[in-house]
Amino acid sequence: MTRIKTQYVGQWIDVTRSKQFTFDGTVVTGLHGDSVTSALLANDIWLQSRSFKYHRPRGPLTLCGQDANTLVQTPNTPNVLADRLEVEEDLRVSAQHYTGWLRFDLSRLLDWFGRFLPVGFYYKAFFKPSGSWRWWEPLVRSAAGLGVSNLSVSAPYNDKVYAFCDIAVVGGGPAGLNAALSAAEAGARVMLIEQEPYLGGSLSYHAFNGDMTATQLRRDELIQAVYEHQNIRVLVSATCNAWFSDHYLPVLTSGRLLKVRAKQTILATGSSEQHAVFRHNDLPGVMMCSALDRLIRLYGVVSKRPVVVLAGNDLAYQTAFSSQDAGAHVSAIVDLREHCDDPALAIHAENRGIPIYKHCAVFEASATTLGLELAKIVIHRLDQTDGIGEKVATIKCGILAMSVGFMPAYQLACQGGAVLNYDDETAQFSLQNLPAGMHIAGSVNSMFALDTVETDGQNAARAALRGLGMSVEADEPNVCHQRVNHPWPFVKHPDGREFVDFDEDLQIKDIVNTTRMGYRDIQLVKRFSTVGMGPSQGRHSALPTARLVAATTDRTVTETGVTTARPPLTPEPLGLLAGRRFHPIRRSPLHHRHVALGAHMMPAGVWQRPAFYGGTERRKSLIEAEVSAVRTRVGIIDVSTLGGIELRGPDAAEFMNRVYTFGFIKQPIGKTRYAVLTSEQGVVSDDGVAARLGENHYYVTATTSGVDQVYRDMLKWNAQWRLDLDIANVTSAFSAVNVAGPLSRKVIETAGCSVDLNAHDFPYLACKEAYVAGLPVRMMRVGFVGELGFELHAPSPLIGELWDQLMTAGEAHGIRPFGVEAQRLLRLEKGHLIVGQDTDGMTHPDEVALRWAVAQKKAFFVGNKSVDILSKHPLTRQLVGFELGTSSPQPKEGHLVIHDGNIVGSVTSCEYSPTMNKIIGLAYVHPSDSAVGSTIIIRTDNDIHVRPVVVTTPFYDPNNARQTL
Amino acid sequence: MTETMFNVSPLGGQVYDGAISIADYTTRHRSGLRGAQARSLLIEAGWSVPAHPNEILQTEDRGFVMALSQREFWLLEPTRDALSISISTTAVDKDVYPLFCQSSHCWLVVTGELKSSMMAKLCGVDLSDNAFATGTVAQTQMALINCIIARHEMAGHDVFSLFVDHSLAEYALEVLLDARDEFV
Repeated sequence: MTRIKTQYVGQWIDVTRSKQFTFDGTVVTGLHGDSVTSALLANDIWLQSRSFKYHRPRGPLTLCGQDANTLVQTPNTPNVLADRLEVEEDLRVSAQHYTGWLRFDLSRLLDWFGRFLPVGFYYKAFFKPSGSWRWWEPLVRSAAGLGVSNLSVSAPYNDKVYAFCDIAVVGGGPAGLNAALSAAEAGARVMLIEQEPYLGGSLSYHAFNGDMTATQLRRDELIQAVYEHQNIRVLVSATCNAWFSDHYLPVLTSGRLLKVRAKQTILATGSSEQHAVFRHNDLPGVMMCSALDRLIRLYGVVSKRPVVVLAGNDLAYQTAFSSQDAGAHVSAIVDLREHCDDPALAIHAENRGIPIYKHCAVFEASATTLGLELAKIVIHRLDQTDGIGEKVATIKCGILAMSVGFMPAYQLACQGGAVLNYDDETAQFSLQNLPAGMHIAGSVNSMFALDTVETDGQNAARAALRGLGMSVEADEPNVCHQRVNHPWPFVKHPDGREFVDFDEDLQIKDIVNTTRMGYRDIQLVKRFSTVGMGPSQGRHSALPTARLVAATTDRTVTETGVTTARPPLTPEPLGLLAGRRFHPIRRSPLHHRHVALGAHMMPAGVWQRPAFYGGTERRKSLIEAEVSAVRTRVGIIDVSTLGGIELRGPDAAEFMNRVYTFGFIKQPIGKTRYAVLTSEQGVVSDDGVAARLGENHYYVTATTSGVDQVYRDMLKWNAQWRLDLDIANVTSAFSAVNVAGPLSRKVIETAGCSVDLNAHDFPYLACKEAYVAGLPVRMMRVGFVGELGFELHAPSPLIGELWDQLMTAGEAHGIRPFGVEAQRLLRLEKGHLIVGQDTDGMTHPDEVALRWAVAQKKAFFVGNKSVDILSKHPLTRQLVGFELGTSSPQPKEGHLVIHDGNIVGSVTSCEYSPTMNKIIGLAYVHPSDSAVGSTIIIRTDNDIHVRPVVVTTPFYDPNNARQTL
Repeated sequence: MTETMFNVSPLGGQVYDGAISIADYTTRHRSGLRGAQARSLLIEAGWSVPAHPNEILQTEDRGFVMALSQREFWLLEPTRDALSISISTTAVDKDVYPLFCQSSHCWLVVTGELKSSMMAKLCGVDLSDNAFATGTVAQTQMALINCIIARHEMAGHDVFSLFVDHSLAEYALEVLLDARDEFV
């Protein structure tokens, strides 16, 4: 191979910067700008992979990442497209999917035994005789799959970015460049998305009108204008991988996923060149004309191997001329047609000394001795009906470049609901029923002549601008007469191996046999034969398959159709989809104080809360010590995560009365009241404490995880009721601590309190606004943990100071911070529910003995009808307290309660109580087992059944004497 | 009570300088009003009040009024310390109630030419110059948390004021600094 760098050849490479990498252990020298594939070809390495099913040797087909022939393995990533992978110094690349050596693949035996692996064989094998799958499975698993994932690789940094534009133009070829410029000049914000590292598309490698100089001058002019335009944002090496509703476009770039929101989309995605179907059309050396053009024009690789061009259209002639101009030896042009559309091309070829075999086809290709690369082709004449006639010649060649048709890159359009139509007369495609705001331009719209492509881009911009509501001039008339698709580029060979789908090693007979088995529908053909299901996703196989199915089922290609296009367009790295991980964490204003005190933090929803204070190795003893401190002295816990809702206005009491189950109209100012919420279905949905701070003012707490829903529900209800009040979620505005224990009053008094805390002036369930340690607080006497206790709610910025003052004041009283674990145990000892833990999505008040919290005489509250109805039905389960001796296995939350051999409930809470020296818990049981003294059965770990006794709750201080001190 | 008590921010009042700067204004004064008469009350008090929701307007030498709805306004006074915090919720006038934005939200001020690009890594709203003009407010999400973003001028700079829940402030700063990395 020769490397050439001129103005129009080798445009992407820098011949002054060589780069060494290894391919399957062999050191290869490439150039800066090379892809791995181009560098390998420059070193005359054509065999780059093995096929999926038969392990046939494969080489580059498209050179633009649209085929599976160049899938390789890098140390961290399997299935990398070598023709899109830029060479880097010391890059390690290996071929994949072979047994032994790439050049001597032991699995090649499968090719020779191919007759025993007919289409759909896996649907018919492996399940007989019964149980044989166990034998087959390891074989199939070892044979299947491509490449190896490196599971120990550390995840690279990927992220996602939103991007916005008026018009997204997908494709930076001549149509896209024109569309972008026209739209931008009219004032639209344009994003131009190009998959290749450079703009230009076919202008960079195809000589339009036979004039490469003029083509590239035009390209340079367009690209310069695009880059200079301030309204255009250019993205290169960026793949628009899908089209979703409202023009949401995920665009893949290196390490970053762009989530593009456009108002209009112009698809200038081009078209995929199609291959001719003949025996051994998959040998390394057989490639698309556009691939050979790219190899020469972009990478400056000019092969010394003789080149033959197989033409089904006029465009192929330009490849022959370009190759010859670059120094390649073009042995012949084999033209499937009787005449060129442009007769001048044939004359031009003859003047160049290139023989043309008119109305001939490649009957078969043959390989070199080792069977690894193309060595020669056999040419036959076509008869009047395009059937195979007599042999004409055998031509030695190393490269066979073919251009027999183009299929629109229809995938993005069809993802949006567009329909791909095919004109059986002209063999041309058209995309119709485009979704609103989507426009197409260029060869995807079957425009191939450069002037029509450019005009089409401009017209698409006009259409998009109209879609934006902008006034634009009328479209330019534009019709392309150039025909590029040969109607039947198939040559069936008696010995087969004419490949329709390279990814899946499917031959003509496989598609034909599929239809003969009754699979006439193209979708069924796909599923049975797997055609189009490989990495190429039917870019090259869809059209020949449709033609074959149409021919064998006596239908037109239009009637046959093509398979459904679904996102994503190309394989996408999972890391890009995952992106940067956002895990919101809510921290109390006291968080760092807890950490400084050695707290073991635990998640509580999105909050971080102290589980207990100290090392995890002493978890049990620390929790017991915290419980003991609360029971015997005083403890302090951060309850800032409690939800808080402020209700203010003349109708606040009426609103409370309608929302909560209890009566609130007559709730005295300065008193708190337990507040239960039921849903419209009568299910207990949340609870809290309602403090009436004024005639028209309530401050209500809600559960940590439930407050947002409670707030939303309140807004929803008042949108209907139109009561005169203001509802504010003040969860973050107020933080709170609970000082609990027999000495809690003394601690607060020591810190300094502006109100008298004695039991007469500040009794149980009272609330007041006051100052503690000089800080403004809302104080509530509550008894969640069953001891004398004060909840102090202060503005969040002040809670740290309040905590410090209370800890200082409590020092002399033995104050100890306690965490969530101790709190849960303390409340369990007291028999208090935690909504969400001891209730579920079906729990109604009667099941959890909350009937006392439901006002019987109220005309209405949310859910009252359902609660009434439910209460008239016999209970199916009931929450009860139970206890077990300490020698018993301890049930866990979720363990099942069994009654007469049936599951009737589960354990919702269960702990060892150091205070009671018993295992205590709450569980849903069968109503007949709910009486105190009943024995219930709980199935614990390892199917051990324990038999606790139902007891009354509270377990601790049943007369509530301690909390009312 | 001492003034220092109110100079408390979970973000420590830090300033992160660079091509994109992020400054913690949490301890700067702000208050809020909500109610049918809130607008007229503010106008009577001499504030320039935005004509529409989701706009922010400066009153010279005093600060900004940010309209979050037809009946909810936040007063932002970046040059004034938060000297007092009240827990009183008595209506300041008929049907006008104070809000607790000093306590509920942290205030971050982002400056720098590329701040829109940085925010595009976190927020699904187009905050570019063309789409998000000075004087505009977006009540949206940033890195999965609720966030109010206001674009306005401050001390001659074009800034984004970000208001995030007090309990999420550290998380918000973490994601902002991470997003900023490539721009500094």
